[in-house]
Amino acid sequence: MPREIITLQVGQCGNQIGMEFWKQLCLEHGISKDGILEDFATQGGDRKDVFFYQADDQHYIPRALLIDLEPRVINAIQNSEYRNLYNHENIFVADHGGGAGNNWASGYHQGEQVQEDIMDMVDREVDGSDSLEGFVLCHSIAGGTGSGMGSYLLETLNDRYSKKLVQTYSVFPNQSESSDVVVQPYNSLLTLKRLTLNADCVVVLDNTALNKIAVERLHLTNPTFAQTNSLVSTVMSASTTTLRYPGYMNNDLVGLLASLIPTPRCHFLMTGYTPLTVERQANVIRKTTVLDVMRRLLQTKNIMVSSHARTKEASQAKYISILNIIQGEVDPTQVHESLQRIRERKLVNFIEWGPASIQVALSRKSPYVQTAHRVSGLMLASHTSIRHLFSKCLSQYEKLRKKQAFLDNYRKFPMFQDDLSEFDESREVIESLVDEYKACESPDYIKWGMEDPDGVLTGEGNATGSVDPKLAV
Amino acid sequence: MDNSVACPSTPRWNIERPFLTGRFHQETKLTSQHTQYKGYSVNSFSSPGKESPVGCYHASVQELLVIDDILSALVGIEGRYTSIKKVNGKEDHFKFQIDASMDLALQELAKRMFPLCENFLLINQFVESRSQFKNGLVNHAFAAALRTLLLDYQAMVAQLEHQFRLGRLSMQGLWFYCQPLMGTMQALSTVIQKASLNKFTGSAVLNLLQSQAKAMSGDHVVRSLLEKMTQCASTAYLSILERWVYEGVIDDPYDEFFIAENKSLQKEALIQDYDAKYWQQRYSLKDDIPSFLSSAAETILITGKYLNVMRECGHNAQVPMSDNSKLTNFGANHHHLECIKAAYDFASGELLTLIKEKYDLTGKLRSIKRYLLLDQGDFLVHFMDMAREELAKRLDEISVEKLQSLLELALRTTAAAADPTHEDLTCCVERSSLLKRLSTLKDLDVNRPVSDSNDLEEPISITGLETFSLIYKVQWPLSLIISRKALTKYQLIFRFLFHCEYVNRQLCGAWQVHQGVRKLKMRGTGISRSSLLCRSMLKFINSLLHYLTFEVLEPNWHVMHCRLQTAKSIDEVIRCHDFFLEKCLKECLLLLPEVLKKVEKLKSTCLQYAAAAQWLISSSIELTSGTATADSNSVLQFEKDFNSELQSLEPILNNYSQAEPYLKHLAQWILGVGDDR
Repeated sequence: MPREIITLQVGQCGNQIGMEFWKQLCLEHGISKDGILEDFATQGGDRKDVFFYQADDQHYIPRALLIDLEPRVINAIQNSEYRNLYNHENIFVADHGGGAGNNWASGYHQGEQVQEDIMDMVDREVDGSDSLEGFVLCHSIAGGTGSGMGSYLLETLNDRYSKKLVQTYSVFPNQSESSDVVVQPYNSLLTLKRLTLNADCVVVLDNTALNKIAVERLHLTNPTFAQTNSLVSTVMSASTTTLRYPGYMNNDLVGLLASLIPTPRCHFLMTGYTPLTVERQANVIRKTTVLDVMRRLLQTKNIMVSSHARTKEASQAKYISILNIIQGEVDPTQVHESLQRIRERKLVNFIEWGPASIQVALSRKSPYVQTAHRVSGLMLASHTSIRHLFSKCLSQYEKLRKKQAFLDNYRKFPMFQDDLSEFDESREVIESLVDEYKACESPDYIKWGMEDPDGVLTGEGNATGSVDPKLAV
Repeated sequence: MDNSVACPSTPRWNIERPFLTGRFHQETKLTSQHTQYKGYSVNSFSSPGKESPVGCYHASVQELLVIDDILSALVGIEGRYTSIKKVNGKEDHFKFQIDASMDLALQELAKRMFPLCENFLLINQFVESRSQFKNGLVNHAFAAALRTLLLDYQAMVAQLEHQFRLGRLSMQGLWFYCQPLMGTMQALSTVIQKASLNKFTGSAVLNLLQSQAKAMSGDHVVRSLLEKMTQCASTAYLSILERWVYEGVIDDPYDEFFIAENKSLQKEALIQDYDAKYWQQRYSLKDDIPSFLSSAAETILITGKYLNVMRECGHNAQVPMSDNSKLTNFGANHHHLECIKAAYDFASGELLTLIKEKYDLTGKLRSIKRYLLLDQGDFLVHFMDMAREELAKRLDEISVEKLQSLLELALRTTAAAADPTHEDLTCCVERSSLLKRLSTLKDLDVNRPVSDSNDLEEPISITGLETFSLIYKVQWPLSLIISRKALTKYQLIFRFLFHCEYVNRQLCGAWQVHQGVRKLKMRGTGISRSSLLCRSMLKFINSLLHYLTFEVLEPNWHVMHCRLQTAKSIDEVIRCHDFFLEKCLKECLLLLPEVLKKVEKLKSTCLQYAAAAQWLISSSIELTSGTATADSNSVLQFEKDFNSELQSLEPILNNYSQAEPYLKHLAQWILGVGDDR
């Protein structure tokens, strides 16, 4: 069972989207709520073993760890019809059940304390796989458990399994309305540092955009968590299709990510999906050709990172890389034509300092899930405008920090006892990340690293290393 | 006539007793002096010297005598006053003569009837000689028809004799009765003279009869007689045809049929021999096609071939027959052509269904695509994980058995496990590099530049990574379509893809090395430069793979797949499939050594970089701490090499893309040409 992926779902949000994700995977692979393969699921060609393993009685069990510091969500899962799907040994709920109180420091500290228990579970899962490819972490960055404990887990995993990939699906808080979590900027900043330094890839799921999509695209007046979460699960399952339905390329996570991520730190991806639907909604059936799908994927309204971040300085914002995963009945002869069309219309603004183009992966669609449209598509893209999201986090942090508000809650924990240098460090990391993304927008990015005041390479860099402008497209 | 065809010999008495066969006419004069029993005949019948000259009798007596003689002459026997002379000593050319002292009027009348007698002799002799085994079925049938005719003729002569005995036959009467026969017998003898002169057999006889019938189209009686003869003579031939067209069997003991079978070409060769000619040459058309079938000859050949394939598959191959479809019901109204068409439709439809359904052609092709074209490439990821060390060895150190078991393991543990056909897959390690292998396949339309004589030197350190290949087992009758040649082409594409995937993997490894140093401050170090180079290389190899798979293999496969659905015959299927492979080979750059060489060079630069990545990064880290200095240029050197190589590809691609438009797509992918930004 090669190239397995272990999923860790941490905190309330992480567990909710994780659960939706497993629901979707079960549907697509024809696995029942109890983990038994349905009678109709006889068409082979899919890879269940990447995300599931089989128990002695042939039940499919998700390679998932359910971790939370308060029991509410996990209890709900355990009382749901999916209760028999998960391995009960893989569920961790803190004994006290009191949660992290929306405090990153608390989550982080508690993570440290229960580290042994959790790493035991991780190690057991790792031993149960043949050649582990990596970990996937689902969490939100605003609360306490997902952000704080998630951060701690990121650091530990990165340390312990340095050869394995770590990918996260990180839900960013809704910044357009006032949040009930006042310390959200602190939490976000501290988590962002870990996401930058300890993850190989972060799929950014912006609640602002998710809500907007639910309201504007799906015409839901008051989108529930379940509804926005189903959007997330759609994205998660779609982004793993090439791993689960093998094709010509991108059959492993590293291949998928390596082509998308340009430099080690610029590993934040935004996603787009079309056509979007949620359960029980009357589908408006649209014509879906490859070109239609690719065009829609490039439209702001289908992208799950808030559009206000994307419209800012929009003319400078550039795509670094794009991978479109197209699912369904695709006429392969259309692919080239569609790409050509998009190129001619100049629908995509690419970076100028290196080769870039839309990569396409055609993937099979689950034969067990009926959809009204023939073709659906997911876009995974590295786009420089994501820096505005981080800038916003920074500015909100600055505001709060200036007021010295709520810092006492953090000082209670060891990391912040002596000083608040952790905040400053994090801020520095995020600033440099924003700078790097900004530099990516310039055609001279390749020299950016070389213009360091004491950079030894500057001289040679100008003389020999510059890429011919013709190549830099 | 082909000497190789063994014929039974005629019994000896046919030779020893000329009176049984009518051959005595040729031999009397030669042998009379020596042979006692033949001498008897000479003495009793043909010694006019003992009789009184006919001129002594009264004219009315002369008439009786001459009628008596002529009645004999009509069945080829000399009389008292008539004799047979050979003309110019030729074998089968006779002339009747009559006693010159006879009444002139009678002489004239008698001479008018002599041609009939001569024709009878000729025909009779033809019948006898052609009935021998060695002359083949058509001649036998023709002779048999003539024999029936002669029987009627002899009956008529007997009746005339009866009339004569009754005293009711005058010379004029005899002439009156003979007259209608003259023309037909003359026509027949013309035909047989031509036939025996050229020693015609088989279809030549049929052609002759038909052309003669056409030539005589003015004479209704003669024409219908010749047509009757044609029909009789072709019956045997048509039953050979019938067995071929309805059953796919050649039943042709005398080698008369116009389709030849080359038994030395075995169907097993399709699986082993790159240049197998089974399908093209096992059955072939000969030169002598009967003219009435010439328009349908190809169809007939193909129909039989199809039936034959089904027969070889152990499938009951029999075109359903009804009385109406009997080819032996030969008529002028092209009935046989319709029958052949119907048989063809049936055979090709049946064979196509057989190949598509029982032998699951599409499934087989899809499975080949899955493994050899990496349509379902996850097994390869796993295989490379496990077999990396073995593949990196030198050719003579690689254990193919080990690779084989690793491959099986990889197939069993990935998505391929659900597909039973993965058991048909085995692997091999070839001896030469891809470029070299391509240059040895002479029949490929490789676009060879002028100066490529010496730079095809084999790289010394060639490993399994460059030469690993898969073999797919194909059984008869699918080997007709997926022949050794076709498989070889698949393998060429596979090897190219495999190596590209390998390069991609190594670069992914290098990418992961960069990820490992994420926490360091990279700005201003060689690391960020290196990670951008890594990105460019990944972009290159990904674009190349993308081009190969989604721009070449997948669309072409799609087109072929659609065509296969609508194909009407197995030949069309073979053509589609060959066309697909040819197109893929070409568009995968395998026929353009100049471009391919550049690509190989780029790949090897990528591999070198990937191998050095770890070391480059650690040295860059040292560099920032201010200890190392000399190695700092390495990243830039790689960058320079890679970029200059990539740039040098551009003019070449531009140059070729005039003739080969698909190269524009490639250029767009790997160079970004045409983005005009």
